[in-house]
Amino acid sequence: MTALPEPAIRTPAAVDKGESLLRRRFSEFFESTGAAFGLALLILLLGAAIFAPWIAPQNPYDLAQLDIMDGRLAPGAKGLDGRTFHLGTDEQGRDMLSAILYGLRISLFVGVVSTVAACSIGAAVGVLAAYKGGRVENLVMRAVDLQLSFPAILIALVLLAVFGRGIDKVIIALVVVQWAYYARTVRGSALVERGRDYIEAARCLALPKSRIVFRHLLPNCLPPLIVVATVQVAHAIALEATLSFLGVGVPVTEPSLGMLIKNGYDYLMSGKYWISTYPGIALVIAIVAINIVGDRLRDVLNPRLSK
Amino acid sequence: MSISRSALAALMLAGTVAGAAAQDLKIGVASEATSVDPHFHNVGQNNALRRHIFQSLVGADENQKPVPQLATSWRTLDDTTWEFKLRPGVKFSNGKDFTVRDFVYSVCRIPLVENSPSNFTIATKGIESISSPDATTLIIKTATPYPLLPIEMSVFGIISADAFGADAEVKFAKTGCTGVGTPPKSSDFNDPAKSIGTGPYKLKEYTRGTQLVVERNDAYWGPKPHWKTVTFRPITSAGPRVAALLAGDVDMIENPPIQDFDKIKGAGFDIIQGLSNRIIYVHLDQFTGPDWKTPGVKGTDKNPFLDKRVREAFSKAINRDAIVERIMGGVAVPAGQLLPVPLFGSSPDLKHDKFDPEGAKKLLTEAGYPNGFELVLGSPNDRYINDEKVAQAVAQMLTRIGIKTSVDSMTASTFFSRRNKYEFSAYLAGWGADTGEMSNSLAALVTTQNYAPGFGNTNRGRYSNKKVDELTAKALQTIDDKAREALLREASKEAMADYGIIPLHFEVSPWAYKKGISYTPRVDQYTLAYEVTAK
Repeated sequence: MTALPEPAIRTPAAVDKGESLLRRRFSEFFESTGAAFGLALLILLLGAAIFAPWIAPQNPYDLAQLDIMDGRLAPGAKGLDGRTFHLGTDEQGRDMLSAILYGLRISLFVGVVSTVAACSIGAAVGVLAAYKGGRVENLVMRAVDLQLSFPAILIALVLLAVFGRGIDKVIIALVVVQWAYYARTVRGSALVERGRDYIEAARCLALPKSRIVFRHLLPNCLPPLIVVATVQVAHAIALEATLSFLGVGVPVTEPSLGMLIKNGYDYLMSGKYWISTYPGIALVIAIVAINIVGDRLRDVLNPRLSK
Repeated sequence: MSISRSALAALMLAGTVAGAAAQDLKIGVASEATSVDPHFHNVGQNNALRRHIFQSLVGADENQKPVPQLATSWRTLDDTTWEFKLRPGVKFSNGKDFTVRDFVYSVCRIPLVENSPSNFTIATKGIESISSPDATTLIIKTATPYPLLPIEMSVFGIISADAFGADAEVKFAKTGCTGVGTPPKSSDFNDPAKSIGTGPYKLKEYTRGTQLVVERNDAYWGPKPHWKTVTFRPITSAGPRVAALLAGDVDMIENPPIQDFDKIKGAGFDIIQGLSNRIIYVHLDQFTGPDWKTPGVKGTDKNPFLDKRVREAFSKAINRDAIVERIMGGVAVPAGQLLPVPLFGSSPDLKHDKFDPEGAKKLLTEAGYPNGFELVLGSPNDRYINDEKVAQAVAQMLTRIGIKTSVDSMTASTFFSRRNKYEFSAYLAGWGADTGEMSNSLAALVTTQNYAPGFGNTNRGRYSNKKVDELTAKALQTIDDKAREALLREASKEAMADYGIIPLHFEVSPWAYKKGISYTPRVDQYTLAYEVTAK
């Protein structure tokens, strides 16, 4: 009895054509040049963010490296120590290029970490609700409804007003406002999967409930989850930028893209366009790249659209 | 046909615009008065509006020096007795004469204002008794020598006793006046028929949130103001305020933002700037209580700020000229004391500390911190001009001498409540001396808490220096202006030499207006339409 090999029950995702499925999806993805371009852009931005400390000309978060006498220099101007600021400086004398690279780092980090955390929590809660049904499901889904009925930005603002500033606190706030999307998505697909034969079979084998839920049910709910998560990364980044723009969120001495835009906003009308514009462009590119990739993933992973 | 018609219309329009422009002034104000009632709320915008309609015994010039207004002169008969000579022939806008009774009525009504957010008893608290030997003489007695009495008589406006049906005789008593009748409610003043004062203007129309219009008071005793009607439009956001000026909707605005100066000048408008009485400073935690841990300070187990050398290094590390030039766009003045020259009690020879990072490092090493320490600088981010940016610049400069500083900035209400709980070992804030005297700044910011009533209320660094306390207290009991100013200067120099507080800069308040009019900046930052002149 105990020797029963676990993979004996093959789940539909794996049944199809084994490993070649992934490869097929992969090649399908690249059929769209737009998506390929988006992915390349995203990889480029990720690389720039990860390697920012090595490629940025300055550490914009080290106050000792800044000099306000270099403040608000136009792109291409030379600073006091002779270096060139290719994208200009903000009013504290921060090199905009370095600030954008570091800002991307914060934005992508916050986006990815909060999405992974919210996704894990949301998926676990959602799949449990679907499997258990009854009271648990009711309770969880009403909590989700309640959460989704408030605008995300409002909840995040309140949370940050209570917590104070800090990247960790921004991430917590983003997880709190986002888990509900995942819970709802996962529950939807888990409800469908629950009635399938392979789950029935797993039940008949008297496998532990946790095993059924997490090894059988959850993996088969993943495709929609991946799509939602990709789009939500972009949402999280935009939300973080909004919070920073509003003056809650990251500390002022460690600006993210949103805060850089806010700092430059004061000077926008007086011709000092570069403080807001370049971080704005970086933010837009990052969000658009993620959304293109997310859109394509949705097309590829949607069984109704697959050939 | 159509061309000549539109040309005619344009001519007519130009005619009316020119005619109106010569007589009407529209001002975009940054904050709306919370009431027309001159006694409701002791706050800048209300006090500015009040001066158009309601006058006081004593006026204040642009440097907050007391000047004659409804009283033509004043003197002390002895240390606790003041004699004011009233201006003869002054009439209220309802035609009634201004008498001692109106003054007494106003003093009596001040504590009776309902729901006042901050009332004017602060200005009448010194009055012990009021008498009047003849119709033009007013005698005020105080309990102790009270040199600030003339200034405080300039703080509150005088309302008409007849407008609200007071008895024929109104008597002042510290414990409660008699003959006041039913005092008016604050909302009564919204009615032009009841808003009766002796000022150059009278209320014409008041629509909360939209506009407040005053028109020339023809019964005014003084020189006739240039503008027949003046409209105050509250435009609280800076962007729309500038846009309203550029579009010609208003003729003059308060507080154009520094970063828009170039644009405003480029569009053909004038900008005038004047020193304000507001100092931006950093206070350092100097509490000596047992078991007190300085919050936010890391890298040392002592309170570094108890060492004068550390405080001096702090001050020397700050490049005030750079902050003024780069962060404030030149619209501020570096400070070496708590009140700018020429205000009362300021010392012309107290200059701001020279930027000297090497000297600062040396002082830190001498004090036993060769590697510096870590510090959190608290700051509001929406209270003073560029407050958060100034805090960042200070942090940058301190980090360069080894005090690794991070900035914790937040909205003003959160900041002040946390500051009042002593959660910051160093914080940036500002102080406006509303009496225009050094005694106000010293008493609030650097005297020991609870040394005397009203002392050290805003001294949240808990600095304590016996000499400063004694000199300030003595100055506040000295009637003679020269002697008082000497004492205040001495106290101020002592506090500055001891680095009890680190002054950064004085804010400068700007006004922008169309060509053809001019305004003299005021230290108290009030916008007074009757002082706006046409060139």
